[in-house]
Amino acid sequence: MAKEIFMPKLSSTMEVGTLLQWFKNEGDSVEVGDPLFEIMTDKINIEVESYEEGILLKKYFAEEDEIPINHVIGYIGEAGEHIPEAPPGESVAAVQDILSDSRQPAMHDLEEIEISETTTINETGDTGNENSQSEKIRATPAARRVAKEHNIVLSEVPGTGPKGRIHQKDVGDFLQSAPKATPLAKKVAGAERIDLHTINGSGPQGKIYRADVEKMRQPSTASETGGRRMKMEGIRKVVAERMLQSKTTAPHVTLTTEVDMSEAIHLRKQLLGTIEKQTGFRLSYTEIVLKAVAACLKRHRNLNVSLEGNEIIFHEEINLGIAVAVENGLLVPVVKEADQKGLSDLTAECKRLGTAARNSNLKPQEMSGGTFTISNLGMYAIDAFTPVINQPESAILGVGRINEKPVGRNGAIELRPMMVLSLSFDHRVIDGAPAAAFLTNLKEVLEQPFKLLV
Amino acid sequence: MNQLLNLPSGVEGKDLPALLKQMWLIRYFEEKVDEFFAKGMIHGTTHLAVGQEASAVGAIAVLEDRDKITSTHRGHGHCIAKGAEVNRMMAELFGRTTGYCKGKGGSMHIADVERGNLGANGIVGGGFSIAAGAALTSQLKKEGYVVLCFFGDGASNEGSFHEAVNLASIWKLPVVFICENNQYGMSGPAKEMMNVEDVAKRAEAYGIPGKIVDGNDVLDVMNGVGEAVERARNGEGPSIVEAKTYRWKGHSKSDAKKYRTREEEQEWRAKDPIARLRSILIEEGLLTEESADQMKNEAKKEIEDSVEFAKNSPMPTRDDLMEDIYA
Amino acid sequence: MDGLRELTYLEAVREAMSQEMRENEDVFILGEDIGVYGGAFGVTRGMIEEFGPERIRNTPISEAAISGTAVGAALTGMRPILELQFSDFITIAMDNMVNQAAKIRYMYGGKGKVPMVLRTPAGSGTGAAAQHSQSLEAWMAHVPGLKVVQPSTAYDAKGLLKAAIDDDNPVIFYEHKLCYKTKSDVPEEQYSIPLGKANIKREGRDVTIVATAIMVHKALEAAEELEKSGISVEIIDPRTLVPLDTETIIGSVKKTSRLVVVHEAVKRGGFGGEIASIIAESEAFDYLDAPIKRLGGKAVPIPYNPDLEKAAVPGVDDIVLAVKEVLNRS
Repeated sequence: MAKEIFMPKLSSTMEVGTLLQWFKNEGDSVEVGDPLFEIMTDKINIEVESYEEGILLKKYFAEEDEIPINHVIGYIGEAGEHIPEAPPGESVAAVQDILSDSRQPAMHDLEEIEISETTTINETGDTGNENSQSEKIRATPAARRVAKEHNIVLSEVPGTGPKGRIHQKDVGDFLQSAPKATPLAKKVAGAERIDLHTINGSGPQGKIYRADVEKMRQPSTASETGGRRMKMEGIRKVVAERMLQSKTTAPHVTLTTEVDMSEAIHLRKQLLGTIEKQTGFRLSYTEIVLKAVAACLKRHRNLNVSLEGNEIIFHEEINLGIAVAVENGLLVPVVKEADQKGLSDLTAECKRLGTAARNSNLKPQEMSGGTFTISNLGMYAIDAFTPVINQPESAILGVGRINEKPVGRNGAIELRPMMVLSLSFDHRVIDGAPAAAFLTNLKEVLEQPFKLLV
Repeated sequence: MNQLLNLPSGVEGKDLPALLKQMWLIRYFEEKVDEFFAKGMIHGTTHLAVGQEASAVGAIAVLEDRDKITSTHRGHGHCIAKGAEVNRMMAELFGRTTGYCKGKGGSMHIADVERGNLGANGIVGGGFSIAAGAALTSQLKKEGYVVLCFFGDGASNEGSFHEAVNLASIWKLPVVFICENNQYGMSGPAKEMMNVEDVAKRAEAYGIPGKIVDGNDVLDVMNGVGEAVERARNGEGPSIVEAKTYRWKGHSKSDAKKYRTREEEQEWRAKDPIARLRSILIEEGLLTEESADQMKNEAKKEIEDSVEFAKNSPMPTRDDLMEDIYA
Repeated sequence: MDGLRELTYLEAVREAMSQEMRENEDVFILGEDIGVYGGAFGVTRGMIEEFGPERIRNTPISEAAISGTAVGAALTGMRPILELQFSDFITIAMDNMVNQAAKIRYMYGGKGKVPMVLRTPAGSGTGAAAQHSQSLEAWMAHVPGLKVVQPSTAYDAKGLLKAAIDDDNPVIFYEHKLCYKTKSDVPEEQYSIPLGKANIKREGRDVTIVATAIMVHKALEAAEELEKSGISVEIIDPRTLVPLDTETIIGSVKKTSRLVVVHEAVKRGGFGGEIASIIAESEAFDYLDAPIKRLGGKAVPIPYNPDLEKAAVPGVDDIVLAVKEVLNRS
């Protein structure tokens, strides 16, 4: 019997995948493990490999088609086998296979993706709360009805029933705690889908008037007059959610220091040729900063940490994320065990990851497991900034441009190539003094790179 | 010449041709239905009484209009004998609103309560206690009517037979249980299904009369049943009358009749109750060959007309589905 | 009120029949040992003296025959009341009730009617064990053409029986054995409680209990208990399963947002499932603030041992617990 090819579910939030390209044509023979097609999900682009061997009998979809998860995309089987003319819809086999875990290698891959994504690229960060995803909300019909009547998003309502089930009373309590607003303001906000919580009321005790709501509406009104509208989706949406999550849960503190980069520049010049010969890539300051950060983190273990639930995890490995700007968003590929690698390896790896990120073919495991992130805006005219922590990590280093500045040195003013480092850390987990000590150490290492040898 | 005929009291020779006509009606009705089923023109199932016309017609001939009957799954003959209109019967089989049951009952449930036909019954042995109950009403309300309960040899093996006949016997209910022993309960030969040869013999167990009549002889049936009806009407209680007869056709529409022989069928066909009555009536001068043939053609025509009537009758609408469940 | 006195449920049933038989010559009773013996539970005691053996008709032990006889008599103009000694024996009368009584009118295209009442004691609690203690009302409620009544109080029994006798359809009238001795104020004069009208036995705010027969009494007890914890329980007795007063039940659930259904009959396939489904399909669904809870007998033949017998059917404690569960207060 012909075997189904189906749209795999690659993350807990994935509902559809976009078919980017087929690697096989109808009639081609396929081996187990052969790349069949490439898809784009809300997070990544990935090549999907075949679980079956045989002849690719049918391709129901073309490039750019959006296909719901578990829906049959095509069939593999023996030549001449009968298969449906039209796409048969959801694959029963797919669901069963995932549940029964019968196809070892391929399925394990999927599971790893599942696991790694929930821990590292989880957009909300609160995996413990079942109400974080709308399709999983436990709420009674009465609670749903009342919530609907009052335009309340159930995911925001804490449930007091068994397993967090939301009851009518919970919605009532939530309503009580909701911002005070005039009926007209509520109506306008409801119509415009503006959350009253986000509005600052100008009335007594913060009561929201219609005018307050209208103010919120301004930007969209303006754009109605001609601006382009784009739906928040894919990477953009994930970035948005994660930034909001990080900023609203982690109390950020940002420390800055200026580093004299004279020695580092010197070092780079000396190594440039050697490394280019070895790797074909040119050593950049990113890799030098990376090397220095890895070395310092080794000495300042309390910055290489994550907060999970009520526990602080001190990571053994030093895995450094590098923020890479891509079209429509931001990706953070990870250099694993950066402290174990020399500048040559780091250069090769950073370049490869950067290219992969921009071409949307990072593998999930290349985006997971980071313990500290570096964001380099040195190519722009930026001196210092306040980077947002890449959760569940607890600290991020912002790297500014190298700029000649007048600096006081031995009683005289000299022009020196200076660079500002901005370290944002999560004050829940890391205190100011250790953070300052780390940043001081980092400054020392960059100003005297030979210390890297110690 | 009529004195040669042994007629029950109250029946005269001149009443007999009408009975022949009824038997022809039954015969043609059943044959027509058989044809339609064979052609797939009507759905469901049906049980035909071809060959058993005499027991239905003879038994009912001795009843008064106020008397009632309960019938069986093989009930078309009883229905016609009790005076039902063949038009409305055929319409019922066609599932039309003009049918006796507005198309909701079909072959097995034709009833004409107003005319004392309390209904055919799809449950073998289902009529015994209903007949007893109807007889109880007659007794309690002193209405004077008698209930004739048709049943088959197979039904006499149902537990309901025992319970109802016993009950009727102790209360002396005005009911006559008439067994049309057509030799087979579906495919089961009566002689294999009972350890007595005659159902009538079972009457002894209830202390009531049990009489055997020739079920293919209208006159014999009339005499036997007439006596039992009279007894019942006089308050002397129930009787069992067993009419020995034969079912010419299979049990229902899909019956290869593998359980019996061609020879046996031929033997019984030779005892055709219609041919017998016809020759008696001609012999007795109550009919001529011509008038008999004319009667036969009339019957045939009536059945043809009933088909036209049924075909031209309206189908029920979906709105009728939920009607008539509760009074 | 005039002529109001306390009567037992059993007396109320008898009074309803006696009064009707004085009024209507067509009404008679048939059943086993209902004559001088007075019926298995004494319901017809004294009636043969007043009405004579013609109308208080002692029958042979022939449930198949007497049920069919009742059908035949009803079809021909009488209004028989058939007493079955134990509702368990309905299995023997089943063919006549299910295949004849329930269907005759429909099969005959609306001609003919079967105005009969099958009265029968049901339920456990008397130590009569597996073949004399069942509650099989869901079977009958499943069959179109039958009506099913389950009174819980003397007052209801009298009024509902009058309505059942007056009804032109076959009515199965379940009398719970443990209700026979319960008392309530019953008017002397004849009165009729329409079939298909539920009764709110107790008003409340927090949770609706739909209970039938003896469970109405247990639910009332549970409600007293729950009152002490500040829980206000509304108790609805449907009184008739067919026809069912869905409007009252839906209205109550819309008010309280919570539903517990209690019957003695085995929960699996019991009528509680029907009530729960009706709510799930109704506009009351959107008012539900907790999953519906069904309480019913365990899926076991009723045992003889008194303790086991009790454990086989819902008790007051079970109801209290169920209510607390739907209120998240267990």
